[in-house]
Amino acid sequence: MTPTTADRAPMAGMKVYNLKLGMWVFLLSEVMFFTGLIGAYIILRFAHPEAFAEPGVVLNVPLTAFNTFVLICSSVTMVKAFAAIEQGDQQGLQKWLLATILLGAFFVGVQIVEYTILTGEGFVPMAESYHAIARGAAEGSAVIGGPLYGATFYTMTGFHGAHVSIGVLCLCFTWWRARKGAYTAGSLGGVEIMGLYWHFVDLVWILLFTIVYLI
Amino acid sequence: MSTTEQEMGKALDAGGHHDHHEIPWIRQYIFATDHKMIAKQFMFVSLFFLVVGGALAGMMRWQLGFPSQPMPGGMILPDAMMAPTPNGAIMLPEFYNSLVTMHGTIMIFFAIMPLLVGLFGNLLIPLQIGAEDMAFPRLNMVSFWLAVPAGILMLASFGVEGGAAGAGWTSYAPLSTSGEWTGVYLGQQLWLASLTILGFSSLVGSVNYISTVINMRAPGMTWFRMPLATWSLFVTAVLILLAIPILAGALIMLLFDQTIGTGFFRPEVGGEPLLWQHLFWFFGHPEVYILILPAMGITSEVLANRARKPIFGYHSMVLAIVGIGFLGWIVWGHHMFQSGMNPLLGTSFMISTMAIAVPSAIKVFNWLATLWKADIHLDVPMLHALAFVSMFIIGGLSGIFMANTPVDIYIHDTYFIVAHIHYVLFGGSLFAIFAGITFWFPKMFGRMMNEPLGKVHFVLTLIFYNLVFFPMHNLGLRGMMRRIYDFTQYEFLAPLQPMNQFITVFAFLLIATQVLFVINFFWSIFKGEKASENPWDSNTLEWTVPSPPPHGNFAEMPMVYRGPYEYSSPESDTDFLPQTTPPGGGSSGVPEPTPTPEGVEA
Amino acid sequence: MATGEGHKAPPYMMVFGVLAVLTVLEVLFAFTGLPKIWLALGLIAMAVWKAVLVALYYMHLRFEPTRLWVMALAPVPLAIILVAVVIKEIFTTGSGF
Repeated sequence: MTPTTADRAPMAGMKVYNLKLGMWVFLLSEVMFFTGLIGAYIILRFAHPEAFAEPGVVLNVPLTAFNTFVLICSSVTMVKAFAAIEQGDQQGLQKWLLATILLGAFFVGVQIVEYTILTGEGFVPMAESYHAIARGAAEGSAVIGGPLYGATFYTMTGFHGAHVSIGVLCLCFTWWRARKGAYTAGSLGGVEIMGLYWHFVDLVWILLFTIVYLI
Repeated sequence: MSTTEQEMGKALDAGGHHDHHEIPWIRQYIFATDHKMIAKQFMFVSLFFLVVGGALAGMMRWQLGFPSQPMPGGMILPDAMMAPTPNGAIMLPEFYNSLVTMHGTIMIFFAIMPLLVGLFGNLLIPLQIGAEDMAFPRLNMVSFWLAVPAGILMLASFGVEGGAAGAGWTSYAPLSTSGEWTGVYLGQQLWLASLTILGFSSLVGSVNYISTVINMRAPGMTWFRMPLATWSLFVTAVLILLAIPILAGALIMLLFDQTIGTGFFRPEVGGEPLLWQHLFWFFGHPEVYILILPAMGITSEVLANRARKPIFGYHSMVLAIVGIGFLGWIVWGHHMFQSGMNPLLGTSFMISTMAIAVPSAIKVFNWLATLWKADIHLDVPMLHALAFVSMFIIGGLSGIFMANTPVDIYIHDTYFIVAHIHYVLFGGSLFAIFAGITFWFPKMFGRMMNEPLGKVHFVLTLIFYNLVFFPMHNLGLRGMMRRIYDFTQYEFLAPLQPMNQFITVFAFLLIATQVLFVINFFWSIFKGEKASENPWDSNTLEWTVPSPPPHGNFAEMPMVYRGPYEYSSPESDTDFLPQTTPPGGGSSGVPEPTPTPEGVEA
Repeated sequence: MATGEGHKAPPYMMVFGVLAVLTVLEVLFAFTGLPKIWLALGLIAMAVWKAVLVALYYMHLRFEPTRLWVMALAPVPLAIILVAVVIKEIFTTGSGF
């Protein structure tokens, strides 16, 4: 009896193409990575609450809130880029990718500025030289928090910033490829996975901003 | 065509599009993207590190068996490691600490893991599920080429001032946060950097394995028709994916403590050493299941095949693998029973640890039931697989003792633990690796390994191995601690010296015996008996293609109609029935012509 | 995914609006001076709400096969276990660790 189509089990897989599945799987590992870093922060904060500070005392909440808004906007532009190529709109794709790059680079820039100001105020990761004072306080004011604050802050936000920077570089690569017409409505995997990574970076920041700056 | 249809079409056209030009030598052998070549790359590099790890152990055993006596050949080592005397070179305690650390690190991360996952994951997954390669071949290449610099860094650390890392493979803070007590500075940092890079290598590898298994199975290859080797490698890949990032975070924080001067784990500036332990073991426990699950998968394949019987309880075997994968996340505290934890927490970890013995035991009973009244062929792979089961039982039983908090408080950090570790990692994983290499050697190289030489290697290894490691249970119970340069300084341990010497002698014999395997391995590559497509009369898909398989593996898309363990089936006129055999199709499956995409719409 | 997925474009701009509003609310809420525990719970809830919106709509999970978002949730219990167990350990052993 010759086997027929009906005898064969359905095509394998999750009906999600390889690139997208691969990116999702990779993002799960990234969730665990930030879990380790943010988890360490939460644990240390519970163990030594006196080593940390109330929101806004040392860190600049308004500036970072604005930066959060910037990153959210960049997610919107990314989504618009994807929507454009879904319709086959090459110009739209390039335009919105460029907007995402600029917003992403702006985010990193603001973070660098923030770091510069903070380190100038004595808020550093090194334990021996930590001497953070409150924002706007006079020189020589009491030290707020302890070395753990600096160490955890810079590690978490630094790695997030590194992920954003890598994302910006990948976006540039994507934009360059888009200019060469590499993506079409039927072949937009590269844009979609770029978007997934970028939204993920935004998602992590949404949680990170709340946990680190607002609590 | 949409991207999804393109992927489906690509998978279906597996054979069709391989009319490409010859690949340049450097792309075929060095920067290879073919999973079979990458598997071999991992194999050769890992076997090299296995030898290095063994040499480090040999030196440790010299010190333990002949404490502070001149070591043969020691004069060639630098003064930082061996103190020169008129009679020869005597090992320095600091170097002993490095040996202890690097033996563990190299064996776990650069030998066992890449052999089980890098070699067998790469070799078996695409072949066993009927795919032409991994989902992301170039990423696969990156995975291997990240492991190489990691290995180089690790080896280089021996040569720097202060020597190689010396805080144990577990690198506990505060011993590891500064070189004040170990005398190791740059070496510890290199250790951290090396493992971070290696972690990334494993991570991208796991992305590949997971995506490939989910998405690239041939038509008919449902989840519950996958061979247990693939199942175990899949669950292992998930463990790697989720556990390694935690290690990465911890390594980075420790590296910052050492270099930038942060205080995550440094108590003198308000840090928490115990946080390191929690983070490390949260990774560390899934890690040990990473080191055993693929070995269990390999054993299942070899046992079923060489016993000419279906694996007993295939579904429960799968559930056991998944169960071990799940439970492995909630037992990490059993490495920390002596850390001063809340007794209630200790009890919960004790219970979860004993619970995880259940799926392992289910597997053992299933293997035994597979062997019951079977037509057992005692060839070399089978011998090693049988050794796996027996040695794993011993290692697992010692684990039950350790799982018990009050018992563990006594035996923690003694040689009882060392015995357990080596029963599961050598008696378990390494014997399975020998079984796997011997079994799949023909598929990799088109030749069989030498059977008589393999048997001699097996017997001698098994005997010497047990003589080395079984007495360690006793040593541990009598109080001999781990990682100690000179235990004879303690009066109550001095009587243990003869036993240590005994172990050392057989350890040297054990190491020497491995030369037989090396000879067999290399000789067989060139002069081994030529192998057919299916020399073991096996059912799984890798045995339906030539030995070695061509680029792209399958000339036509394989169609899978049955599970992988239909040995001695009444439906067949032989004692095996390949997975590609259609129902009622007898003992050989004739591949169907390539179907059109509509025909296999899900 | 390919064209013609069978659903209309997700409400991207509406999601953006909600995200923006929630961000402002979070910042305002953080300085209301409520007891720490309520602040933390409220802020986490809002942050998670935003994160879920991004995941569901921008990352398209709402329209993907069920198995994908089940898979995406896998790390969450692990994260909770790690942090919860270690924090409990801190509290029940007395002073710090």
